[in-house]
Amino acid sequence: MTLLAVRDLTVRFGRRRLVAVDSISFDLGPRQRLGIIGESGSGKTVTALALMGLLPETAQVSGSIQLAGRELVGLPDSAIARLRGDLMSMVFQEPMTALDPTMRVGRQVAEVLLLHAGRSGGPARAQVIEMLHRVGLSDSERVADSYPHQLSGGQRQRCLLAMALINSPDLVICDEPTTALDVTVQAKVLRLLDEVLTAESAACVFISHDLAVVSQVCSDVLVMLDGRIVEAGPVARLFTAPEHPYTRGLVATSRIDEVPPGARLPTVEDFFPREQAR
Amino acid sequence: MSADDAGGGVLGTSETSSEPLYRVTDLTRSFGRGGRVRALDGVSLEVRRGQRLCIVGESGSGKSTLIRLMAALDRPTSGEISFEGRSIVGMRERELGFLRAAVQLVFQDPRSSLNPRMTVGSIVTEPLRSAHLRSALDAVDPRQRLTEVLRAVDLPTDAATRYPHEFSGGQRQRIAIARALAPDPAVLIADEPVSALDVSVRAQVLNLLSDLVAARGLTLIFVSHDLAVVRHLCDSVIVLKQGRIEEQGSAAQVFAHPRAAYTQALLAAIPQIRL
Repeated sequence: MTLLAVRDLTVRFGRRRLVAVDSISFDLGPRQRLGIIGESGSGKTVTALALMGLLPETAQVSGSIQLAGRELVGLPDSAIARLRGDLMSMVFQEPMTALDPTMRVGRQVAEVLLLHAGRSGGPARAQVIEMLHRVGLSDSERVADSYPHQLSGGQRQRCLLAMALINSPDLVICDEPTTALDVTVQAKVLRLLDEVLTAESAACVFISHDLAVVSQVCSDVLVMLDGRIVEAGPVARLFTAPEHPYTRGLVATSRIDEVPPGARLPTVEDFFPREQAR
Repeated sequence: MSADDAGGGVLGTSETSSEPLYRVTDLTRSFGRGGRVRALDGVSLEVRRGQRLCIVGESGSGKSTLIRLMAALDRPTSGEISFEGRSIVGMRERELGFLRAAVQLVFQDPRSSLNPRMTVGSIVTEPLRSAHLRSALDAVDPRQRLTEVLRAVDLPTDAATRYPHEFSGGQRQRIAIARALAPDPAVLIADEPVSALDVSVRAQVLNLLSDLVAARGLTLIFVSHDLAVVRHLCDSVIVLKQGRIEEQGSAAQVFAHPRAAYTQALLAAIPQIRL
C-alpha cells in the first residue's frame, strides 16, 4: 500500500510559466523515508511546498498528489489546511523564522494540537510537555515557557520537530532541517529525527543538498536536477553504483573526508559539465 | 600545479622569518552589562606569514569575535593584538589604513555581504576607492585590477556590468572573494565562506581558495564549524570552545590524534554516508 503517490507533478510560476518542477512521479509507502537531493534551484523545496499545499497563488500545479488515497491537487485551501499539521506536517530549515518570536514555544506547540484535536487548556499542556520531552528536551517545562530567542538553534529545531509530530502525522516533510545548525548539533538532531520517526511510525520526505546527511535518515533517494528526477533508488545503490553523471558528481563531492588533504577536491563539473551561466 | 606543493613552498620561506604576522596576547572580549558574557577569554596565538590557520568551534565559541578583533572591526576588552609588529589595539580608524589594505574578509552569506544595488564591478573595486585604503595602496588602475581579480576567481569579464542577483550562490561567493583580492591583501580572513553553499558548490569554492592562497602566497585565516572542510585547506588548527582555546596544533596532528574530548566530538560529528 502506498501512503503518498505523486504522478506527473508539474509546477509553473508566474506569467512566463517558468517550470520549477517538471512532471515528476514517485511513491512513498507507510513509514518509508525518502530523501530528495539536488542543488539550489533544482525544485526540491517547491516539490515539498506542493505536497503541503503551501505554494503561493502565482504557482500553477498540475498532475496528481494522492495522500492516503485522497487527491490533494485542486483541493481548496480550507480542506488542505485540515490535513496540514494533522495527516502531514513539515519541519523547515530555519527555526528562527518558522517560530513566532512573540509567543512562548509551548503555546506554539499547543496551537498545532488544539487546531486539529480541539481540546481545551489543561491536558494540552501536559501533552506538549511530554512531546517536548520526547524530542530530547529534558527540561521541557522550562522550554515550553521560553520564547524562541531564549533557546539555542538545536533546541528550536527540536521544538519544530515537536510541533510536526504532536498530532502523530503519517507523513513528515523535512526541508533541510539541519542546514542552519552546527555539525555537532546537526549530528544530534539527525539521530533524534531517526529515533522519533521510528517511534511515531511516520513516513518522511527529507530534502537536502547533502547526500551524507540524507543517508543518516533515509533508505531511498531521489536526485533532482532542473526540476526533473534524474535518478532514484536505495541510498546504498546510488552511492555505490550511481548511474547518472550528475549523481556521480554529488557522491564525489559529499565524500570530501576521503580526499587526501591538500589534494584538489572533486566537483560536480568533473563528472557532469554544465554551462557557466548557472 | 598542485596546491600542496606551492603551499609547502610558501611555508618553507615563511619559517625562516622570525616575527609573526599576527601576535595576539591574552585577548578578552566581554559583552553585556558589566561584561557578563565573555565571548573571548584570554586567547593568545600567533599567525606566521603564509600560514593557513583554521579556527574551529561551534556557534558561540568566540570564533567570529576573534576574527572581528583581528580585523579591527571591534575592540577588545583587554589584551593585545599586533600586526606586522605594530599594535592595532587602540589605534584610530584613520591610522588603520595599512591593516585594512593588508587584511581582507570574506563572509558567510554572499547574499547579505554584497550590495544588491551595486554592479559587480563597483562592488569589487570599492575597496580601491576607500579613502582609508588609498593611502596604503600602491597606485593601481581599478579597471585593470578588476579584470585581473575577476579572472583570478574564474568569473567572466562581462560579470562586471551585472548585479549580484544574476549569479548563483557559488558565483556570488567568488564575487566576494574577488572584492577581497582587489587591494592585493597579505591576509585573507574567511568566516564560514562555504557554510551557506550547497555541498556540490562547496568543493569549487574550496579549490579556488586553495589555489589563490598558493598562487598569491596569501596568509589564510579560515573560520568554520566543520572540520571536514578545514582538513583540506589549512596547515594548522585552533579549536575554540566557550571563548578559550581548547586545542591547537598542526592540521595533521589534530585530525589524526585529537587530544581534547571536544575536538573528538567535532570530528565524530562530520556527516558520513550511512549505508
